[in-house]
Amino acid sequence: MTEPPARTHPRDRIRAAFAEAGVTGRLHAVDIDSGAQIDVGADQPVVTASVHKLPLLVTLHQHAEAGHLALTDQAESPAEGRTAGPTGLSAMLDPARLSLRDAAYLMMAVSDNTAAELLLERVGLDAVNKTTERLGLTRTHAVQTFREFIAGIREDAGPGGSQALADPQVLARLRALDPARTNRSTARDMTRLLGAIWRDEACGPEHSAAVRRLLGLQVWPHRLASGFPFDEVHVAGKTGSAPTLRNEVGVIEYPDHGRYAVAVFTRAASPAAALPAADAVIGTAARIAIDALRSPAPR
Amino acid sequence: MSVPPSPRGDQRPTVHVQDRYRSWINQSSVWLLVVDLIRHLQCFVAVAEELHFGRAARRLGVAQPPLSQRIQRLERELGVRLFERSSRHVTITKSGALLLDEARQLLAHSEALMATARRIQEGHSGLLRAALPPDITGETVAAILAGFQERAGGVELELHESGTSEQLARLASHELDVGLIHHPCDVSGLELGPVLRHELGVLLPHDAPEARLETVPLAALTGYDLILFPRAHAPAVHDDLLTTCARHGYTPAAVRHGQGPSFIRGLLLSSRAIAFGPRDAHHAGDPDLSWRPLSGAPLARRHSAAWPKGRGDAAVRAFADTVTDALGRTAAGPDLSTGPLHLRPAAEYWI
Repeated sequence: MTEPPARTHPRDRIRAAFAEAGVTGRLHAVDIDSGAQIDVGADQPVVTASVHKLPLLVTLHQHAEAGHLALTDQAESPAEGRTAGPTGLSAMLDPARLSLRDAAYLMMAVSDNTAAELLLERVGLDAVNKTTERLGLTRTHAVQTFREFIAGIREDAGPGGSQALADPQVLARLRALDPARTNRSTARDMTRLLGAIWRDEACGPEHSAAVRRLLGLQVWPHRLASGFPFDEVHVAGKTGSAPTLRNEVGVIEYPDHGRYAVAVFTRAASPAAALPAADAVIGTAARIAIDALRSPAPR
Repeated sequence: MSVPPSPRGDQRPTVHVQDRYRSWINQSSVWLLVVDLIRHLQCFVAVAEELHFGRAARRLGVAQPPLSQRIQRLERELGVRLFERSSRHVTITKSGALLLDEARQLLAHSEALMATARRIQEGHSGLLRAALPPDITGETVAAILAGFQERAGGVELELHESGTSEQLARLASHELDVGLIHHPCDVSGLELGPVLRHELGVLLPHDAPEARLETVPLAALTGYDLILFPRAHAPAVHDDLLTTCARHGYTPAAVRHGQGPSFIRGLLLSSRAIAFGPRDAHHAGDPDLSWRPLSGAPLARRHSAAWPKGRGDAAVRAFADTVTDALGRTAAGPDLSTGPLHLRPAAEYWI
């Protein structure tokens, strides 16, 4: 604790950063080309929440590649019956018609739950699980749709609505926070998926590039991106959130061609919805890990 | 009954692990072997978490060579390679990662088993390991001790004083059976008793101008430093309190960390600082200090009994009920969140 930060193991500094931000965190960071890695609870099961939109996106592109569908196929989104959410189609008031790939853009850029549901209806939950299985993500599994995930939170919160989510008793019984009962993965599985996308192994080069493009169009600046305030560094990622949970998985690319997959999953002690330090520590922890991976000194 | 020798070397199908167990179970020294397996799994989990034999050995308090031997033996017995070792790195194999969860679960169960065994070893005179936070008053501690004696006279109570963070860590490792924790905190893996809410007021020198007010608005405390418990004891409670102060217009220029009643008293009287506390706190009756309610009761201390999920036996429940009763006498009723909650778009969920 009294050791100067630079001398301590990056794993200890990452743990200290998580503690300082009031969260418990899991992290896996890997150099996509050399395989060097940093692991902080990387094999612990975690709740994916909207991070599972990434396996869904890969499934969509695999289906397009196999000719099961065309990304330019049109999908109808009626105004009624949309999945709840604060962004994209979920927040829009009028009926919409858009291509599958534009729905995918909304799903990845602003985590649009209705767009995700549209795509999930096309490919099915089983196909998403087949995709993760084929890629060797043995600890990754989807058991419910995004609509069911949100409905579960609403049900468990009870009549008190979102305000009840500040109640410790309610949090203790929330199924959405238990990896055994909702969509799950591990930090290590997620960096493996990102590595496959960046090495053109998840799909062919053309479709992998399309997946990478969408990950790069995510609008949120407060989590992973906040750790890399450098104009020449490219950040691509997908967040996931639920009460007390803040996640992001993504790839950081440096101009010297260094590229690093990183997955961070956190749970905050405080139930507050606005917790800037808990968002920012995702970037801070990723930065500590990647600086260590880039450092020429032995770790 | 004789046991056929287990197959070695050439073929190791997945049922092999079970075969080994069967051969163990048929031997007489089952217990010793189970303890041995647990020790080996402790080594496995430590190496898997540290990914470094030296650090894992330090953590376990053993030398590195026997640790390496244990891992090798476990790999042999399981017929599975758990780690890849190179001169500089240890990495967990895919098979190792697959087994890690089950190993952790088995360790947790064995700890639970040991704890329960300790409690029932001597019939009714079992032992309950409980903890209370340091800021609880002496009167409440006495009431809890007396109340527990009444409810569960046969159980020996081992009472510790520790903050929420420490209690959470000890509850998770099953070194503690039940505690009294401050909210908010990370409640994963816990069951909770009723959450009690105690309104906090402000403690200030009796000659301070604000002490003349019936109730003190938080914003009126601008210019005073704040004396608060060390953040490490309960980081989320600490941050939550500062956020609520800021929301109501009080952002202290400095936060001084202190905890003992006499230390706090000294700071209150000698520097321009205030502290928050419940009405029934240690300073009641101190002629030099005044306690005033805060306008609108924006601040509260919230606590509940807590124990590991699935481990709420009769003794744990008796302690939880005793604590709830003792604190409930002075609580301001059930905990209700007040004010609207505006989820922002980046929250991603919307209910």
